[in-house]
Amino acid sequence: MWEKTMCGENMTHANAKREISGADQTKLAMQLGATEVSDRPVTWSDLAGRIEPDRSPTLEAAGATIRTELAERLDGEVLERERDRLAARIERLPEVRETGVPNEPHGCYEAVADPGWRLYEHLAEGEFFERLDETLPRFTPGHIERTARELVLTTPLSAALDDVGFDESEKTALLIAVANDADRLARWVPSNQIPDGVEFDTETVPPLHRRAMGGALLWIRGLDRHLWQNEVLVTEEVLDAAVAHTKTMLGGLFLSATAACDIATTGRLTDEQVTAAFAAGTAVQIVGQEELLHEVFYVTDETRAPSKLR
Amino acid sequence: MALRNDRAVQAARDIELTEIEDGYTLVGGPDDSVTEQHDTDRIPEVDVDQEMLSGTGEDPESWLMYGGNYEQHRATTADVITPDNVSDLELEYELSVGTGSSMEGTPIVVPGDPPIMYQTNGPNHMKAIDPREGEVLWSYTYAPPIGVELCCDDNNRGAAVLGDTVYMTTLDSGIVALNRYTGEEEWHTQTADHEVGYSATWAPVIYDGTLYTGSAGGEYGVLGFIAGLDAESGDMQWKCDTLLEDEWVGASREHGCGTSWMTPTIDEDRGVLYSPVANPGPDFDGTVRPGPNFPTCGTLSLDLESGEFNWGFQSSPHDVWDYDAAAPRVLVPDVSVEGESMDLVVGSDKSGWVYMMDADSGKLHERSEEICQHINMWEMIPHISEDERVPFVPGAPGGNDWQPPSYNPATGLVYVIHQNYPQDLYWRYEEYEAGHPYWGGNLDDPASEFPDEWNGAITAFAAVDPATGERVWRDWIESEDDHYMWGGSLSTATGLVFNGTQNGNFVAYDGESGDRLWEYEFDVPISASPMSWYDPGEEKQYVAVQVGGSGWLRQGPRGDTLAVFSMDG
Repeated sequence: MWEKTMCGENMTHANAKREISGADQTKLAMQLGATEVSDRPVTWSDLAGRIEPDRSPTLEAAGATIRTELAERLDGEVLERERDRLAARIERLPEVRETGVPNEPHGCYEAVADPGWRLYEHLAEGEFFERLDETLPRFTPGHIERTARELVLTTPLSAALDDVGFDESEKTALLIAVANDADRLARWVPSNQIPDGVEFDTETVPPLHRRAMGGALLWIRGLDRHLWQNEVLVTEEVLDAAVAHTKTMLGGLFLSATAACDIATTGRLTDEQVTAAFAAGTAVQIVGQEELLHEVFYVTDETRAPSKLR
Repeated sequence: MALRNDRAVQAARDIELTEIEDGYTLVGGPDDSVTEQHDTDRIPEVDVDQEMLSGTGEDPESWLMYGGNYEQHRATTADVITPDNVSDLELEYELSVGTGSSMEGTPIVVPGDPPIMYQTNGPNHMKAIDPREGEVLWSYTYAPPIGVELCCDDNNRGAAVLGDTVYMTTLDSGIVALNRYTGEEEWHTQTADHEVGYSATWAPVIYDGTLYTGSAGGEYGVLGFIAGLDAESGDMQWKCDTLLEDEWVGASREHGCGTSWMTPTIDEDRGVLYSPVANPGPDFDGTVRPGPNFPTCGTLSLDLESGEFNWGFQSSPHDVWDYDAAAPRVLVPDVSVEGESMDLVVGSDKSGWVYMMDADSGKLHERSEEICQHINMWEMIPHISEDERVPFVPGAPGGNDWQPPSYNPATGLVYVIHQNYPQDLYWRYEEYEAGHPYWGGNLDDPASEFPDEWNGAITAFAAVDPATGERVWRDWIESEDDHYMWGGSLSTATGLVFNGTQNGNFVAYDGESGDRLWEYEFDVPISASPMSWYDPGEEKQYVAVQVGGSGWLRQGPRGDTLAVFSMDG
C-alpha cells in the first residue's frame, strides 16, 4: 500500500543524486580494461562502446546450472508482478525525498520496499538463495570484473534499469559499486564457502545472496524508524543519501529480480548474463547497505544537524 | 568482627577466577551454597512492601534498590551533607569483606533499628550488615557450577529486596532468593543455560511482585532476553527475546546476542521498563548479520506485565565496534522543554554521547554534546584491509560502559562517566561454537599508535542538561597506570555528586560547577557506585562505597573494602 500521508511535511527538495569522482571513473575504466585515454566522462554507455566482450565459461556454466535447477522453483507470474510493482515504487522515490523526514516510524520507505519483500520471500521459499550460494562463484577480483563487464554489455539489463528511472550517472554509479570495491565484496562470503577452520555455524548464517537482499530490505525498512527517531540529527544531506542508497539497493534487487524473471519466463538472457545479473544485483545491494550505514545511520557531530536547543 | 572463620567468606575466597582462552571461568569453591550466620537476631522485622519500594527515592532512610529508585536516579533525599560542610565528611569505618574479588556493587539499605545493609560482591557473595557498627550478621556464597564462562570478571553488582526476602543474580544465569533475616536459600531459578554462554552479574529489580532480570553472554553468541519472575516462587512469568523476529535475516538472529546486562528501569506510570541492549553477535563481523540488527546497542522498552515490545532506539546500528548500550537508563520526569513538560529516558552509551529519548515514543529529543573525544569513529571497519590498524576513540569500553549515571533533582543534571582511550579493532573470520566466543574480529588495547588528537586523559566525568544536551561541565581524569574509571555516581538532594576514581580517590563534586569539594584517598581503585542513607537512630547521614579494582580491561589492583563515611545531622 502506498500512502503519501505516511510521509512527513514537505521539505525543500535537495539533489538526491550522488557525485561520481573522477578517480572512481578512472578506476572503473581501468577495471574493465578501457585503458585508452578519453576526455569524456566515463559512463555506462561510454564503457559499453569501448570494452570488448570476454566470454567467461565460469559465468556461463553457473548460469546454465541456475537455469536448469531453479526454473521450476520460481513462479513467473509472481516474479513479474512484483518486479513491475518494484519498478513503480522505485520511480516514486523522488516523492519520498520530497516529503523529507517520515511522520511516523513506519511508512514511506517501508512502502517503497514492499514488493521487494514479496520477491525476497518468494525466492526464500524455494531455497533459491541456498542454490545460488552453491552455484555462483565467490566474490573475487576476477569474478567481479567479469560480472561488471557482462553487466555493462547486456542490453536488456541496461534497458531494465532505464525503465525504472536510473539515468546515466546512476547506472554508472551502480557499475562503480560493483567493480571498484573488490576487497569489500570479498568479505561477504557464501555461507557454504567459509573456509575450514574459520567457519561460522552455517546453519545460522544465511546464504550470501539472502543476506544481501534481506539486509538491503531491512535497512530500507529501518529508515523510517531511524529518520523519524533521529529527526533532530537529520540534515538534507542525510535525506539525500537515504534516498540515493535506497535507490541503489532497490536497483540491485531489481537486477536480481530481472534475472529470476528471465529464468522463470522468457529466457531472453544468456546463461552468462543471468549469472552476471545475480552477482551484480547482490554486489550492488551489499555496497548500497554499507554506504547507507555510514552516510545515514552513523551520524557524527560533524554530520548532524545543529542543535536547536543549545 | 573476625571473618576468618566465616565459612561463606572462605567459600567465596576458594572460588578462583581463572583466565582462559575465551575469557574467564571459576575454579574451586564449595559443592553447595554456604550460609554463615552471626548475630542474625539483630535484624529487625520490617515488611518491605510495594509502597516502600515505590517511595524509596523520596525516603532519606532507605535505599531499597540498585538504582536508588525505579527511575534509577541514584539520588538520596538525605540532606545532612551539603556543599558547605562536605569538607568535614569523615570515614566512619572500613569493613573488609574478605573475598578479594570483583567489587562493582552498590549496597541496599532497609530502614529499621538498626538499618540493615545487604551488600554483594564477586563471586556471588552477599552479606547482611549492621551498618551502624560495620558488623556482619550473616554471609552467603552461592556455589557456581563447573564450566561457567565469563567475558569480564566475576562481578555481582547488587541485591533486590521484597518482604522478607533478598535476591541476587548468580553467575550461571540464575536468580537466588534468600531469607533476609537468616541468609538461608529459599529458591534458585535458572533463567538460561550457562553452558552455552549465558551468565548474570547485575542487580535485579522488583515491582508489583515480579522480579525483572536480563541476560549476559554477548561475546558467546547467545540470544538476549529479559524475563519477569514471580518474586515469591521464582517461577518464570514471561521471557522475552530482545531481538524482534522480523528485524533479522533468516537464522542470523539465533546467535544475534542483544543481551541486557544491567538493571532495567521501571516506569510505574506507563507500566513499562527501559533496558539497555548490548552488542549484536558476532561482535565484529557484520556480514553474517546484515541490517540494522535492531534493537542492539540501544534502548528497549517493554510492557511490565507481558514483556511485549513497546519501542527501541539504537545508538550504534549494525554495530561492529562493541559499542553496547550497557549503563542503566535513567527516567527523568517533567523536563521543561520550550514551555512543555516531557518525561525523558536518558541513555549514556559507549558511543560517547548521551541520548535523551521521549519516554512515550522512543523518539530522540536531543543528543548531548560529546562527552569523550571522537577520533576516527565509525571509520575503520569494513573499509580497510586485514593488516591495517586505525586507532579510534571511543574504544570498546566506551564512552559509557556499564557505569550507572545519576540524576540530581537539585541541579536538574545527569552525571555520566565516559572512557576516552584509543584502541584498534581488526576483522577476521571466527568459528561459532557453543559456549565459546563468536567475535569475528579482535581488539588491540591499547592502540598500536596513539592518535595525535588524543588528549591523554583516559576518562571524562561530566554533567549533562537533559533538556538541551548541553555538557555543562567535564572533569578530565588521567591515570598514571592507564586504568579505566569503573564505577557510577551518587547524587544528593543538596546538589552534591559523589564518585570514585581509578586512582582511588573518592570525590564529592559541586554538582552545579563541577568543582571538587572533598576527596578521600584509598590505595586501590574504586570500581563501584556509591549510595547513601540517613539513620535517625544515629542522627547521621552515611555514604557507602565498595573499593577495589575490577573490570574486563585495565582494572587495577584488587581490594575488598566496604568504606562507610558519615556526618552528624
